[in-house]
Amino acid sequence: MSLLQATEVAKRYGGLAALSDVDLSVGEGEFVAVIGPNGAGKSTLLNVLTGLVLPDGGRVLLDGWDMTRAATHKRVRGGLGRTFQHGRPFARLSVLENVMTGAAIQSGRSELDLRERAMAVLDQMGLAADAQAPIESLSYGHRRMVEMCRALACEPRVLLLDEPAAGLNSAEVDQLVDRLTELRGKHRIAIVLIEHNMGMVMRLAERIMVLNFGCKIAEGTPSEIQSDPAVLSAYLGEGYRHAGV
Amino acid sequence: MSIRFPLLLGAFILIAGLGLSMMLADYHLRLLNLAVISAIAVIGLNFAFGYAGLISLGHAAFVGAGAYGVALLTTLLAWSPWLALPAAVAGTALLAMLIGVPLLRLKGHYLALATLGFNVCFSIVAANWIEVTGGTNGISRIPELQIAGHALGNERSYLWFALVVLAASATVAALIHASRHGRAMIAVRDDETASSMTGIDVPRAKLAAFLLSSVYAAVAGGLFACHMRFISPEDFNYAHSIAYLAMLVVGGEGSIVGAILGALFVTFLPEWLRFLGSAYLAFFGLFVLAILIFLPSGLAGIRRPASFSRDGRIKTLALVGASREARQ
Ligand SMILES: Nc1ncnc2c1ncn2[C@@H]1O[C@H](COP(=O)(O)OP(=O)(O)O)[C@@H](O)[C@H]1O
Ligand SMILES: [Mg+2]
Repeated sequence: MSLLQATEVAKRYGGLAALSDVDLSVGEGEFVAVIGPNGAGKSTLLNVLTGLVLPDGGRVLLDGWDMTRAATHKRVRGGLGRTFQHGRPFARLSVLENVMTGAAIQSGRSELDLRERAMAVLDQMGLAADAQAPIESLSYGHRRMVEMCRALACEPRVLLLDEPAAGLNSAEVDQLVDRLTELRGKHRIAIVLIEHNMGMVMRLAERIMVLNFGCKIAEGTPSEIQSDPAVLSAYLGEGYRHAGV
Repeated sequence: MSIRFPLLLGAFILIAGLGLSMMLADYHLRLLNLAVISAIAVIGLNFAFGYAGLISLGHAAFVGAGAYGVALLTTLLAWSPWLALPAAVAGTALLAMLIGVPLLRLKGHYLALATLGFNVCFSIVAANWIEVTGGTNGISRIPELQIAGHALGNERSYLWFALVVLAASATVAALIHASRHGRAMIAVRDDETASSMTGIDVPRAKLAAFLLSSVYAAVAGGLFACHMRFISPEDFNYAHSIAYLAMLVVGGEGSIVGAILGALFVTFLPEWLRFLGSAYLAFFGLFVLAILIFLPSGLAGIRRPASFSRDGRIKTLALVGASREARQ
């Protein structure tokens, strides 16, 4: 039985089918990547999973709980975490306070407890030195990491990452890959990764789903996807196979 | 931060206020009393506007609800003011809940207009429900506050009492600011979507901020009624709501120290500028604009490092009722 399951999810914006009957299933501790060209519906899929957008059809289950119409904060309390495509830390809170907001997901924790939990997450993600810094003093890459720490502090069982490497330099991308590998290894967090950086996707994902114009056009292991003709023509490009990334 | 700053803040208010109360003459003590009472209301408004970003133009109505509550319970039912105060505060919180649940679904300038409408309604009811409120004649002969048999009859002794309430209000507000609830309100103003994605119940956090602000307003109203011992509808019309907002913005929204500084400053400014006569209001308008442009974090922002000061345009817009969405 899968931990996160979306069945025949559909979403239209006016005449545009942003998602047409898309299925997604993520097992405990699994690493799934969702790829596809811009406008394919990847972020919309995350919005439906997190309840920021209600689907026109289909169902979304988290560990058997039908949360298709549940409020976002309830899904988060149920174990869903997410970062945004453009990075949205709380600008008026410090780095530590941002992460403490996430740790407050469980009521009844003392301030000291919240602080310690937040520091542990920051430490693990290599941001402990910036704990007291205001958000606006951080680089773009660090801001995005703060957002990820905040999501992790909510102790998710499934973490949805929307293009986490966009805007990072290559050293930061390598670091991100290490951290994500670590997260899976140590905490068995299932991860759904939306990403354009194919090197990163191929290194991390166990399974890849490809979206194009709101439809799932392929799903399989990285090697299957890399040689799928439909994927090559719709997204990766014919040159991809030969470039051997 | 933890518990030290809230306690220091409370102690500082008591000491500074006590010092002032010894130095000032009666007329200025009266103004200081009014400033202290306004400061309590503005600390409340800071929860709604400064933290949660709810533009409320109906704050004076909640001050009025507290004041009328105390006035009616003490004069009509002959309750002791000490019983009437908490009852009026509880009643106002209930009113805020009834108003807040539907109104807080609105955002930005829609919320500003709706709360303004609420304030106008309050004034109309207070002025026309003559059997109960006495209409525009108001309610007089509100009993004096007494502590252990001593009446707080003069400005100085009342000020001491009001200072204790202000110090307690500021301490509690600072504790809330530094708690998960304070952070949740601030997060909601920064980004509602990201807040819900962090497990925060956004409508609940907004309602909590709105309720807290009304409770502080009601405390201020109750103190006002016991201080003036006479209230009438025009003490609580929407112009006062705008004045509270101006105090908060001048002092520095999002800051408790700013709320207090703003209340003091805006209360005493007309005194200092009395020579301007009727040109005062024009001056005051320009002055608020200047603060918004050159001192975006208000008076309280003067001591803060530049990295904390934010774009003043945001607040200019907020003050004229522009919505968060309009910014994006
Ligand atoms: N709120 C919205 N209103 C109208 N159209 C939208 C909205 N959100 C997304 N879309 C459209 O849905 C399609 C999928 O968008 P999105 O999920 O953001 O794509 P991706 O993340 O794969 O780049 C795009 O054509 C986009 O313009
Ligand atoms: Mg996207």
